Amino acid sequence: MAGRKLALKTIDWVAFGEIIPRNQKTIANSLKSWNEILTSRLATLPEAPPAIDWAYYKANVAKAGLVDDFEKKFNALKIPVPEDKFTALVDAEEKDDVKSCAEFLSLSKTRIEEYERQLEKLRNIIPFDQMTIDDLNEAFPETKLDNTKYPYWPHQPIESL
Amino acid sequence: MLFRVVLSAAAAAAPSLKNAALLGPGVLQATRIFHTGQPSLAPVPPLPEYGGKVRLGLIPEEFFQFLYPKTGVTGPYMLGTGLILYFLSKEIYVITPETITTVSTVGLLVYAIKKYGASVAQFADKLNEQKIARLEEVKQASMKYIQDAIDFEKAQQALVQKRHYLFDVQRNNIAMALEVTYRERLHRVYKEVKNRLDYHISVQNMMRRKEQEHMINWVEKNVVQSISTQQEKETIAKCIQDLKLLAKKAQAQPVM
Repeated sequence: MAGRKLALKTIDWVAFGEIIPRNQKTIANSLKSWNEILTSRLATLPEAPPAIDWAYYKANVAKAGLVDDFEKKFNALKIPVPEDKFTALVDAEEKDDVKSCAEFLSLSKTRIEEYERQLEKLRNIIPFDQMTIDDLNEAFPETKLDNTKYPYWPHQPIESL
Repeated sequence: MLFRVVLSAAAAAAPSLKNAALLGPGVLQATRIFHTGQPSLAPVPPLPEYGGKVRLGLIPEEFFQFLYPKTGVTGPYMLGTGLILYFLSKEIYVITPETITTVSTVGLLVYAIKKYGASVAQFADKLNEQKIARLEEVKQASMKYIQDAIDFEKAQQALVQKRHYLFDVQRNNIAMALEVTYRERLHRVYKEVKNRLDYHISVQNMMRRKEQEHMINWVEKNVVQSISTQQEKETIAKCIQDLKLLAKKAQAQPVM
């Protein structure tokens, strides 16, 4: 019946709020409120119940062996610690999450590289007032006019002028 | 020759006309060589901002500089005047009605260009600048867009570091719930045992009190029974006498 040391990790609630996507805000809030309820209940319950004053009872209860009997049974009673079936599930979920996060990180890195490359290309083009139309078509291929598809001026569908 | 007029008046226009520099004052400048050897000189160096200097709008400055060492400042002018007089007197150039029209047309043109040339050039420049500004805007917008995308990705990567808080909260909740249950069980056991013991004690106390009361009642009953009628009469008479005495004493006192 001795109390066990509770190993709680400190939570940064700001960071917790940041990582929740918008459509799961209610679930996150319920998690947070559960946490608060449990902490308050934990605070109100002392770690162990007060000790029973056996001497007093032994002196005052008339029936002979009653108090001794109670005392023996009370000391022999072991209250079962409730078993923890759920931490394993949370750990498994966390492992999957770590894996998907690693995947996301690598994808994100490739995306960043792509963006960096485009940015470099944009930075390195010559200033516009020194460009010719050919240079413009090289830098921005979408400006190139297709002379085979539209053989007559303006070489592009009229709606896009 | 009118080309020179147009080029010198509309100086910094249309940089995309590659050939303008070729026909223009580059003939005597000879700083750039076109259409020689390898065709790709990209990026093409920028065109000069202004054309070569000309005097009287026609004759390039280099001619005057060329004649200066031999004939001084007035040399080319004397040459020009002499040539014109020579052409007129020898009738190499014949004065016809065309001359009058030429003079008036050229005069009008020179006047118009001198008066409005600058403003027209400015207008053309502004159009060009607007085009370039639009392109520049597009370029800046796409660069900003890409930069924002990169920053967003970096922020997401930072958030990934904080994912573990979610699971920490869940684990904390589970641990706390278990602990709370365990403590509640402890407390319940204590309460139950205490209740039972207290019940025994309070039952004993109650029995004792009841016995006491019963005994007192029994003793009183017996005493009352034991008082015989004779004793009762005597006690009552004595009480009345005592009361009379007390009454006398009480009456006597306030008089005093």
